Amino acid sequence: MAYGLLITNDDGDVLIDSDFPHYHFLGKYTHSSVTQVPDLLGGGDASVTDGGNSPNENKGMENMPDKGEIYVYSVAVNGANPPICFIKPTSVGTSAPYAGIVLTKQTGTTWEIRVFQSKVTSDSPVLYCFAPLSQISNSTSSTYGLKTLNSSGTTTFDSRFKPLRAVGGGTITSPGLAHVGSTGSGWVASLNVNASPEAVSVTGVTPSDIIYYCPSLAHACQQYTHEESESGTYDWESYSWARSDLWWCFYRSCFRIGDYYGTSSNFQANYGVYARGHFYQHEGDSTSVFTGLILGALTGGAYFAILLAAVVATGAFTSANVAGGNYLPYENSYRNTSGNAFIISKASFYD
Amino acid sequence: MSYGMEIFDSSGVKTFSTTDSTWTTLGVYTSNADTSTNHTGVPTMPTRIVTRTMVDQISGDDESYVHTYSLSGSTLSTVAPHATKTVKTIFTVFGK
Repeated sequence: MAYGLLITNDDGDVLIDSDFPHYHFLGKYTHSSVTQVPDLLGGGDASVTDGGNSPNENKGMENMPDKGEIYVYSVAVNGANPPICFIKPTSVGTSAPYAGIVLTKQTGTTWEIRVFQSKVTSDSPVLYCFAPLSQISNSTSSTYGLKTLNSSGTTTFDSRFKPLRAVGGGTITSPGLAHVGSTGSGWVASLNVNASPEAVSVTGVTPSDIIYYCPSLAHACQQYTHEESESGTYDWESYSWARSDLWWCFYRSCFRIGDYYGTSSNFQANYGVYARGHFYQHEGDSTSVFTGLILGALTGGAYFAILLAAVVATGAFTSANVAGGNYLPYENSYRNTSGNAFIISKASFYD
Repeated sequence: MSYGMEIFDSSGVKTFSTTDSTWTTLGVYTSNADTSTNHTGVPTMPTRIVTRTMVDQISGDDESYVHTYSLSGSTLSTVAPHATKTVKTIFTVFGK
């Protein structure tokens, strides 16, 4: 640097460099609406009252894990760079829900931010948002503080607008699969989140004061399938039946301040159920042995395309692929679990 | 504080201090969907972190791969892990 202001600490960290823009406080935001992804549920029954022990149980969402909820925020920030939004969670501790930003979308001069929380609570997360000064239209009459400009005369730091003050950060890895172990038995699926959370230590901050920036990148999708069939003679008549079911959950990564003691805590990553579904096909025949099993129709084709298209038309879980029957993004796997950078700050800096 | 710098507002409230481990924004870079890109001219600082954000992506029923990256010197190399299922990703490089 030939001119300007450069402030470093005794670790050699750069605190202020007038050549570069700093993020400044944009404001606190509460949600404008709450939504959930509707269940994708459906099935086909044909002559299932025929003889034998044709099973009719669990044709809904019985025993499926509860979905989380999605909070929608509108953040006005005029510019191409998305705001950096820190989450102030509803609570901390080992019973606290996980929360993470799952959507960042620009519409004109407004950014729509969606925060997914792993379980429904009466309170809601609050966003503390930051943007470069060039994208903030706030004004102040204060003449106190420190202001830096770069060589183009653009303000890069202005203490009057509460610059972002980080107190910690690093990278965190999300678990692989959200559910480990058996995924079900018989006509009962078991797809709840039971993975152990991944954790990174945070020190020197009162846990209830922590706000964190960590967009959700990881997701996982798991399913359970079951099929049975039977044929024989009952009351002097031949019968046959077959039933195939597919249950699935789509999980998004989210975060919380978990275990804590004093000012030492763990920043934890795990999953919440973002979307879920159950499809089945159940058929019977009283005149001849029914031999066709239908799980292939459930998992491989467009059998439920019309039903799915109607559900997806609600707009919450959108993809053109659904019309082709490909309503699962993938089977029993996960994506984007590593290298999720996060930054920790304090709500009290900005309240 | 025995040394360093503190900045206060007109009400005497501290707004910044050299004890804050702040992050300076070194750059914001966008890699388009399904495209691997090398972003050059990334400023250097002793410590840098890179955050990734999926933009316009609700992660519904598509695979939604996010770009992977490596940062070396002044080059941020971003790689689309899947040729047709990698989403648009914004990288924000912070330094201190």
